[in-house]
Amino acid sequence: MSLTSLVPLIGIADVVIGLSLGSRLFLIAVGLSLIFGVLGVLNFAHGGFYMLGAYVTLAVVSNVVDNFWVAAVVGALAVGVVGAAIEFSAIRRLYDRVDSDLDQLIVTFGFVLVIHETVRFVWGSGSYSIDPPDVFNFSVTLGGSTFNAYRLVVIGLAVGVLAALWLFITRTYFGSLVRGTSSDREMAAMLGVDVPRLYTGVFFLGSVLAGLGGALSAPLQSTSPALGDQVIIDAFIVVVIGGLGSMSGAFVGAMLIGMMQSLGPQFISAGSIAIPFLAMVIVLLIRPEGLFGGIGE
Amino acid sequence: MSATDTGGRVSRFGSAVAEGWTRERLGLLGAVALVLVAFAPPFQVYLFTDFLVVALFALGFNLLYGYTGLLSFGHGLFYAGGAYGIAIVLRDLGPVIADVVGAGISPLVTFVLGGVVGLALVVALAVPVGWLSVRLEEIYFALITLAFGMLGYSLIIQDPAGLTNGTDGVIVLLGTVDLGGFSLRIGGRRIYYAISAVTVVAAVYGVWRVVNSPFGTVCKAIRESPDRAAALGIDVSHHRWMTFIVSAAVVGIAGVLRAGLASVASPGLTHWSTSAIAVIATVIGGATYFYGPIVGAFIFLYIRWAISRFPALEAYWELFFGALLIAVVLFFKQGAVGGLLLLRDRLFGDGDADDAGSGGGGARDDGGQATAATDDGAESGDDNARADRGDNS
Repeated sequence: MSLTSLVPLIGIADVVIGLSLGSRLFLIAVGLSLIFGVLGVLNFAHGGFYMLGAYVTLAVVSNVVDNFWVAAVVGALAVGVVGAAIEFSAIRRLYDRVDSDLDQLIVTFGFVLVIHETVRFVWGSGSYSIDPPDVFNFSVTLGGSTFNAYRLVVIGLAVGVLAALWLFITRTYFGSLVRGTSSDREMAAMLGVDVPRLYTGVFFLGSVLAGLGGALSAPLQSTSPALGDQVIIDAFIVVVIGGLGSMSGAFVGAMLIGMMQSLGPQFISAGSIAIPFLAMVIVLLIRPEGLFGGIGE
Repeated sequence: MSATDTGGRVSRFGSAVAEGWTRERLGLLGAVALVLVAFAPPFQVYLFTDFLVVALFALGFNLLYGYTGLLSFGHGLFYAGGAYGIAIVLRDLGPVIADVVGAGISPLVTFVLGGVVGLALVVALAVPVGWLSVRLEEIYFALITLAFGMLGYSLIIQDPAGLTNGTDGVIVLLGTVDLGGFSLRIGGRRIYYAISAVTVVAAVYGVWRVVNSPFGTVCKAIRESPDRAAALGIDVSHHRWMTFIVSAAVVGIAGVLRAGLASVASPGLTHWSTSAIAVIATVIGGATYFYGPIVGAFIFLYIRWAISRFPALEAYWELFFGALLIAVVLFFKQGAVGGLLLLRDRLFGDGDADDAGSGGGGARDDGGQATAATDDGAESGDDNARADRGDNS
């Protein structure tokens, strides 16, 4: 089959769906990467945070205010508070241990179980879904294929978040503290940075991003307690490919995996779900710092 | 070996048993307990078999984590490797073997052959996977083993070679040995328990020998400080690779037993959430102790069973283990075995008070053995200890 006959097979809708899947992955992966880059903690519970964001948003929309955007903000902030509380009460105790990395991973894995079961206890095992906000809930037809306009909104927001984060980290005073602490924690502490507070702040920010990812993708997927476990593995793949600690890497990695999830099954029938894991293994072996290296970039 | 030598051993064993709180006496007690379990109600036999298999799974995992400091989130791959190895042999080679050795004995021959094939498959997987994985450390090692495990999961689910039967898995039919007047259903709960108990005890003993060999000592040195070990001339990554292979092989044996117990080799065995069971059991039991994973598996299986007795709580047992895991890592890293040893020292403070604090690796194992081997846990171990002290004084 020649290239020209292949191209029409890729509908614009598939590309849009791939990019919107990538956008939700970016929002969870960038928080994961930010927390790892600054605190050195690989937060296994980040998928749980994402799921919690979706559930809180759904609950607020159906019980409190009938406005999706307000609910999404409430969901993201609620997850931020949960994350900060976990950092403050548990993870903080482990920074000074010799083998802190693995202890942190195991403790955050403990929170995976706790969050999963708490969500199941509160909202049950069923799955929920909501419609996209009315303003954007219409179909767009482009080049013969059709998709929901809300997907474009999610993609736009993900790009906006990337830009805002980049400005925040590189252009603000707090951002310079984050970068400084990320590259040398002791030196930053000696220069007067309140490292514990900064750590809690960064964990809060990373958790808010995961919660926002969950909130924004609530209209695009069905939300069930299994969501967190599925999405954390995808997020791990993304941050490994993009580079743990790298924000632009998280963006490129997320879009890559999103496109692969959307387009992959059309080209490779068998083994398509294995490819991201194979890519993860290869990147870890050849370039453990990720394709887009550089902590804090 | 001469007769006098054996006689000497017997008399030494006898005097050791008479002396009280000794390894021989505990071993005998454990053996008696294992035999007694066979006469328990069928469900209890099943639950105990389940415990033995999970204990071996966690013990294999901890050979790597507790003894070299590498945390794998992908040991489910080897658990599934053992299970699929035996399942596929039983499915595809059963009739062929029946033609060769005769229909009567063939289920047993197929079962043993399947176990060997499962183990060989696991070792064949572990050699390259381990070689690649041990180049990385800490978080990166956890991530690459997670990726290998999920890679295996994806391939089993999608089944490009037409071997694994996708998401349904491969049904395991163990069959019945029939020799004229004598017949034996291998999958029968008590028979299968006997097979599992013998296999697990032999495997645990094997691991114990490895841990207490010069090889095991080197592993512990690597755990304490890879850099110093390297400075002493130890090839750290080679040792980690070898430990990885042994660890995977032990997990593979557990996987073979799991397939027969569950009557199916299912893709879920490779999923990271299965690998996590070994992590949970090991951490709760105490990773620095040889018997930690066994005690942890006991706690995991029996608390889960106890929770399942209450329908309102049944669905939420993971919550309990999540909270327990967090509490153990944050406040008491010695885990249950460390706690038991501390308790023993509080009760009978007798000089070896440094047991629990320092995490004595394979050396401090007697408390754990009592808990693991006797069905009713910590209490009986401590009661025996008290009775023993009474005899001595």
